[in-house]
Formats: sequence, structure tokens, C-alpha cells
Amino acid sequence: MKFKKTLLKILGALALTYVGLFLVFFFDLDGKALFYFVEPMLDKHYSKLKRRDMLKQPYGMEDFPEYSYTEENRDIE
Amino acid sequence: MKKKLKKVLKDFWYGKPHGERRLGDLYIGNTGLYKHREWRGVKDTFYYFNKIWLYNYGGILMDIMRFGGPIIAVKGLLRYRWFGQTYLTALHWFDRGLEGMRGEVLRASAWHYRAMTCETIRQFMHMFRADTRLHGGKKNKWYYKTIMHDETVCGSVFYGYRDRMENIAMQLVPYFVTCHVNNHTVLHYIDAVQSIGLPGDPCPMCQAEAGLLVLDDVPDYSPVMITSNEACDASVATSVLHDWFLNKPLISMTQPMRFNDPLVHEYTMNEIKEAWKFIEEQMGEKPDFDVYVEYTEKYNELTKFEHEKWDVAANTPYYPINGVAQALYRIYYSQVGYREIWAKTDAKVKKILNKCVEQKINTFPMTRHRVLAWSCAPLYFSNWCTWAYNCWGLNVIMNMDSLMFDIVLRTDNEEDALFDLARYHEMAPMRRMAVGGHEHIFEIWENLERFNCDMVMMYDQLQCKGMQGIVGLFEDEFRERNIHAIWMPHALPDKRTVSRAEIRSIINDYMFTVMREEPLDPSLLDFDDIMSW
Repeated sequence: MKFKKTLLKILGALALTYVGLFLVFFFDLDGKALFYFVEPMLDKHYSKLKRRDMLKQPYGMEDFPEYSYTEENRDIE
Repeated sequence: MKKKLKKVLKDFWYGKPHGERRLGDLYIGNTGLYKHREWRGVKDTFYYFNKIWLYNYGGILMDIMRFGGPIIAVKGLLRYRWFGQTYLTALHWFDRGLEGMRGEVLRASAWHYRAMTCETIRQFMHMFRADTRLHGGKKNKWYYKTIMHDETVCGSVFYGYRDRMENIAMQLVPYFVTCHVNNHTVLHYIDAVQSIGLPGDPCPMCQAEAGLLVLDDVPDYSPVMITSNEACDASVATSVLHDWFLNKPLISMTQPMRFNDPLVHEYTMNEIKEAWKFIEEQMGEKPDFDVYVEYTEKYNELTKFEHEKWDVAANTPYYPINGVAQALYRIYYSQVGYREIWAKTDAKVKKILNKCVEQKINTFPMTRHRVLAWSCAPLYFSNWCTWAYNCWGLNVIMNMDSLMFDIVLRTDNEEDALFDLARYHEMAPMRRMAVGGHEHIFEIWENLERFNCDMVMMYDQLQCKGMQGIVGLFEDEFRERNIHAIWMPHALPDKRTVSRAEIRSIINDYMFTVMREEPLDPSLLDFDDIMSW
């Protein structure tokens, strides 16, 4: 009897979850949440992130001398 | 009254017929969001809910667990704009591409979207796993076993390393795919590169790719970089910026501007060998021919099935894949090269295709015109094909980019294999046709016949100098051959130059004034979706 009740409860919870998810799907609630809340929040977060100023990085032409793309270095026929 | 009730019940059970759907009424303002998702009848609505919406949200979570786990994914989400802002909205990318689709078309097209989603997750999770920025500056084993390359260098060049190493294109997932999924993200990168002094008129694709580096938003996941001059001189300039900002050993594996000349094959073969030599010097690994053969033969199976699909598309009304799914899937897998997900997807789609042919299912019953889409497409409105079918009955049968890389590669000996790999590499997107000489871009005429199309959607990328130079020749030929062609102006990833609403209005004008036709769904004629993903 107890097992039956627990099983019914689990099935009921699963059915409710399924119906709830269907409502989220049908009324595009995932889209609305992402558009109105998540995306603006993330946008603010990314805009605040500290980033390297890439223009300050020198353009080191000789940084990797082991490989140079020259005719002498081409040993292919 | 009884009749009305019968009709309501019929619409509930089967969904409204094409002419009565009024899909445009479902949108909320300019957001592209839905008041509610489309009711497609009981069977297709629940297919969409169970096998597309639930399945893919679940699949995304499973893929994240499978390819590295939630911790590294959250770290990536907090660090990279292109990831967090874009890919959370993936299911709405499905919505836009699959709007109005029913039955077998809904199923087959959705499998293509699923495959692209899975492969995208695999790629960014691998990037994050190897990324020194997410590991306190440490270079782990993944870092040393990953080759970074330009998105226009095809994955097949690296088949010979697939048993020991991974190759991930630098811009494919951070830039190219984002434009289709959520085109808000890319605008930050275009603005970033212009903020350091680049004028606004070069190709916006190259601008966005360089902007990723200007904003320091590229994971540091490999000790090397292999760039390319594909598709054009703007890509050459981007390679210089890669060299500056990445600050790591870099080689440019250049492609010839023409592809069907024996002299250029030798040149391309040498370029490929040079890249392999570079990898050997920098990473200590040589390509293994047996491994190359293994992956190439698997890839050839994908190409053979593609030919089967094209045959059905060209000669019957039973082709179950819509224009946007066909185009994106084909360009994605041919560029990335063989992955298991493509083979699994093709097996599923083959069953659907066979069913449609055997049972003679007319998959796009409201087709008024069979359209060939030519040149390079607007990335922020790749789903225009879906809109055009729903609104006007324009059915996009084939597009130019799908015809790239169209070669079954030989594997019988190393020399032939390298020759064919070079040919394949030369047939890359845009080089094959758009920027590869006018005789190739004019392959349009034979493809119009081959795919039995009666109309051309001619993409007009406003910032592509190569294609701009050939507009007059096309105009003359269209007139001479009496072909209906609509020019679609766009700026690849940047919706601010030509909006989606403007594109729709150009098509509407042509259909009203030249074709003298009436829309199938008038609610889709004019609506504002400027803020839509």
C-alpha cells in the first residue's frame, strides 16, 4: 500500500514536471527569461571584465626563430 | 456552428493548413520572441516538445558532461562573451530555422541542427579544457596536443594526426556559428576592431575574426597557429593580426586563387607539406598515412550520401531537409571534416529520406518556385529560406556553399591522396566560386539545370569587393537567359548594415511587382525583428 502511494506520488510529480516543462516550452518562457534577464546580466558582466590591452603587446617579428618561412628553409621538392 | 467546431478540432489535431497559420502574429514586438510557440497539431507539437526542445536541452547538458564537465563550462561561460551570450539561446536558433515545418521535414532538419549543436559543444569544451586562461596560465596535456588553425583551413588537412592530436579552428565556434545562433554577440567584435582604426568597409567576417583578438576573447589552447589567405586579401590582413596578437609560432598555409590548374595543385601540395613540417618542428608529431586513410574513407561515405541527397533534391519533390538545415550542416561538416556525429546523423536522415522516397511524400507541398541560392549568405539571416517558404512558397533546393569540397578523395597511395587533399583544400568555401575566378562563379547556370530550379536568390555581400566586381556580368546573363533573380544585399554577420526586415521587403517587392503573386502567409510580410537573436 505504502509502495503504491509512493509510486503514485512519484508519477504525479513527474506528470506535473512534464506539464510544467510543456508550459515553459509552449509560452516560450525559456526565451523570455534568456532575453529579458540572462542576456542583459551576462552582457553587463562581459562589459565589466578586465581585459588585456592587446595594442600594448609588441609585434615581435623575431620571437620564434626556430622556424622561418623562407626559401632556404623549404626542403620540399 | 458545428462546422466551426469541426474546423477548430481539426486544426487542433492536425495543425492549421499552410495558408491559415499567420505565423507573424506569434511574435512579440521587435524581439523575435513568441507569445507562444507554434501549435503544429498534436503529433508535430509533441514531437517538437519531446524530441527537439526537451531532447536538445538534455543533449546539451549531456554533451557538456561528456566533453569536460560543468566546472570548466561555467569557467568558460564567465570568461568568454561569445560562449555565454550566444550558446544559451541555441534552442531559439532551432525555432527560427524550423518555423512552420511539419512531418518528415521537421524531423530531418532538426537532426541536422542537433549534430551542429553537439559538434559546437565538443569544440568549445575542448578549447576550454586546453585553455591556459582557465587553468591559471598552466599549459596542460590538452594544450600541447591541440593544433589551432584558421576556420578556413579544412579539418581534413589534420586527419593524419587524429589518433594522437586534436585540431580546432580558432574562429568557427567563437565567431561563425555565433552569428547564426545569436547575432548580438558578433557586433562587439566588429566594433572592437574598428575602434582601433580599421575602416568599416573591409569584409565584416575578417573584421569580426580580428575583433575577437582585439578584445582578448580567444582561448589560448594551442602552442601553434596555422592561418590561411582564404577567402581573400582581408584574410591575409587578418593573419597579420593573428601573428601579432596570438604571439605564437604561426604559419600561413596559403591557397591559390584558382583551383583547376595543374600548376596550382603542386603549389597547394607543397603548402600542405610545409604546414605538416611546421607541426613536426613545433609539436614533434608527423602525420600518419594509415590514420589519414581511415578518416578520409569515413569522410568519403558522408560525401557519397550527400550526392544521394542532392539527387533526390534535384529530381523529386521528396527531399526532407529545408534550405537552412541543408546549407549549415553541409558547410559545417565539410569544413570540420569527419566526426562521428556526422555519420550518426546521416544514418538517421537516410532512414527519413528513404521513407519519403518510398512513400512518395511531397515534403514541401506549397512550393511555388524552386530556388537556387548563390554566392555567400547573410549569417544573421540564414533562416531566410524558412521565412521565404512560409511566406511565399519559395523553396530553396540548393545553395552555392553546399557545392564546395565536392570530391571523393583517393586513398590508394600517398601521392594520389595528397593530390586529392590539395584539390579538396582548393575547393574551400568562396575560393571554389565566389573569389575563385568568374568561370567558377558562373557554374550557377549548370547548377540551375542540375537542380531543376526556376529562380535564383543572388546574395550580394556589400563589403565583398570580389563579388561586387561581377554584379554587372550577372545582370546581363540573367536578362539574356530570362531567369528570375532577386538580389539580396547583406553584410555577412552585421545586421546593422542591411536588416532582416529590409531583406524581406526586397523579396516581397519582387514577388508582388515582378512575379505578380500573393503571399501564402500575409502576417509574415512586414514585421520588426531587429532585436531578435
